[in-house]
Amino acid sequence: MLEHLSVLLPDMLPVAQALGRLPLDCLQAAFMQQALLAILLLAPMTAALGVSVITFRMAFFSDAIGHSAFAGVALGLLFSLDPLFTMPAFGVLVGLCIMAVRRGSLLSADTSIGIVFSAVVAFGLAVVSRTPGMGRNMTQFLYGDILTVSPAELGFLALLALGLFLFAAAGFNRLLLIALNPVMARARGVRVALWQYAFAALLSLVVMMAVRAVGVLLVTALLIVPAATARHLARTAGGMFWWAQAVALFSGVAGLLLSAQSWLGTASGATIILVACACFLCSTVWARRQGHRRG
Amino acid sequence: MPIPSDVAVRLRGLTVRRDGLTILQDIDADIPCGSSTVIIGPNGAGKSTLLLCIAGELACEGRVTFPAFGRPPRMAYVPQHVQLDAGLPLTVLEFMALGGQRRPLWLGVAASVREQALRHLDMVQAAHLLQRRMGDLSGGEQRRVLLASALARRPRLLLLDEPAAGVDASGERLFWKVLTAARQEQGFTQIMVSHNLSLTAHYADLVLCLNGSLMRAGAPHAALTAPTLRALFGVPIHLYPEQCEEPDETCAQCGAHCHSADAPACTSAAAAPSASSLR
Repeated sequence: MLEHLSVLLPDMLPVAQALGRLPLDCLQAAFMQQALLAILLLAPMTAALGVSVITFRMAFFSDAIGHSAFAGVALGLLFSLDPLFTMPAFGVLVGLCIMAVRRGSLLSADTSIGIVFSAVVAFGLAVVSRTPGMGRNMTQFLYGDILTVSPAELGFLALLALGLFLFAAAGFNRLLLIALNPVMARARGVRVALWQYAFAALLSLVVMMAVRAVGVLLVTALLIVPAATARHLARTAGGMFWWAQAVALFSGVAGLLLSAQSWLGTASGATIILVACACFLCSTVWARRQGHRRG
Repeated sequence: MPIPSDVAVRLRGLTVRRDGLTILQDIDADIPCGSSTVIIGPNGAGKSTLLLCIAGELACEGRVTFPAFGRPPRMAYVPQHVQLDAGLPLTVLEFMALGGQRRPLWLGVAASVREQALRHLDMVQAAHLLQRRMGDLSGGEQRRVLLASALARRPRLLLLDEPAAGVDASGERLFWKVLTAARQEQGFTQIMVSHNLSLTAHYADLVLCLNGSLMRAGAPHAALTAPTLRALFGVPIHLYPEQCEEPDETCAQCGAHCHSADAPACTSAAAAPSASSLR
């Protein structure tokens, strides 16, 4: 279905081809150019949302959304719809449901997320288990593969990135205020419910696109590791945003290029996360040294 | 032409029920414009619930009106605490800018917002904290920054929910002092939940004694009587010993005095520190 909608999406192939002019052998292949463009679009989005995710303490939320990819794909295969459409659509639905349960229930946030999480994973596995051969299709969502990103997905990522940065420009302060104290935010005229639902919907969409890149198992890492690293390095909340961007972009590009080297030959998603984790480790050491100096 | 009212907030028959439990029952009160109103009562008395009803945060039966303003005025809310974890590198300047500028913090803080933040921080004796991280502040410093941020909105109605809870005695005294100075300067109406009876007696104009229903309302000297406080908290508390209606030998403050041969029972203001002596 995404391919049918491609006429409405911007054509990002010329941009991807332009990346082929970089003096790197591995970028001569078209799929690598597209993968690099995908990570250049995806990394800033996950970094921008990751900053809010750790401020809201919503790492488990994004994990639950990532795991709902199974059910989204299973639904697509069950109803003969393109999984690339059903997966993000189902993810947004689950994200909004979790937010509604979280806002309206007396249960703690992690309990309500855990319930929805279990339900969607169980549903996905139940559908997969009764359909012969479907398990194979699931593997790509479990581990992710950014090298197979399609031109239509690139166009969708570009649109999503534009929308997300407009949202981040309008909502960063408001979301931070909500995270600090929702009543205080409301007293200042912030429409708390609207921003929370919009955040959940956008986060769900980005998580689903990130699942394609790094897989269900590592999607949360792509959100929180750059943001957590940025917390160590930044002196201000504004600085934290930019540090998260820098770490996410560096990890994404370095991880992708490293994974393409014949001497390494590792999965691109896993390599990206490993580079991000290495950055986090370095930032932890740096923060401790700074702490000792201050102490 | 309507006559301007001097009542900022009017509560009529305000009742809140949750899951079959009545939290607030039939509250009637008039809160004067520009006053310092303090809500006192034991834990679970519905103090914060009443504050949230006034803020429009909670659905309730009865009416909350704002006669002096006609419609809900510009409000600011100072919570008991904010969800701050120590790792968040949010500076005091950025916190002040959160409500003051549309531009996202990652594009910097506007010079005018910085100037305004400094002015309001100065009002609460916290200008020196501008570049500090919120997570590094002491309890008292953090509460004053929260107050400065609320004052920056130039509210007509300021709601404070135990804003100095957990702060040491000098920090709490300073908080009330700067709050009173700011109210006198900006002229807003202030409604605060507090557990500090002596500071309430000293700084409040109107006290609402709450325990599910409104037990008493009035000026501190009229509302904070020993019988009312005993009915509210279940223990003898004497803020104004001369108001002791009958000798109470279980009272730590005046019991000994009541049994003293050379002093009349509970009639001398010298028996215990009075509210006026706290000034």
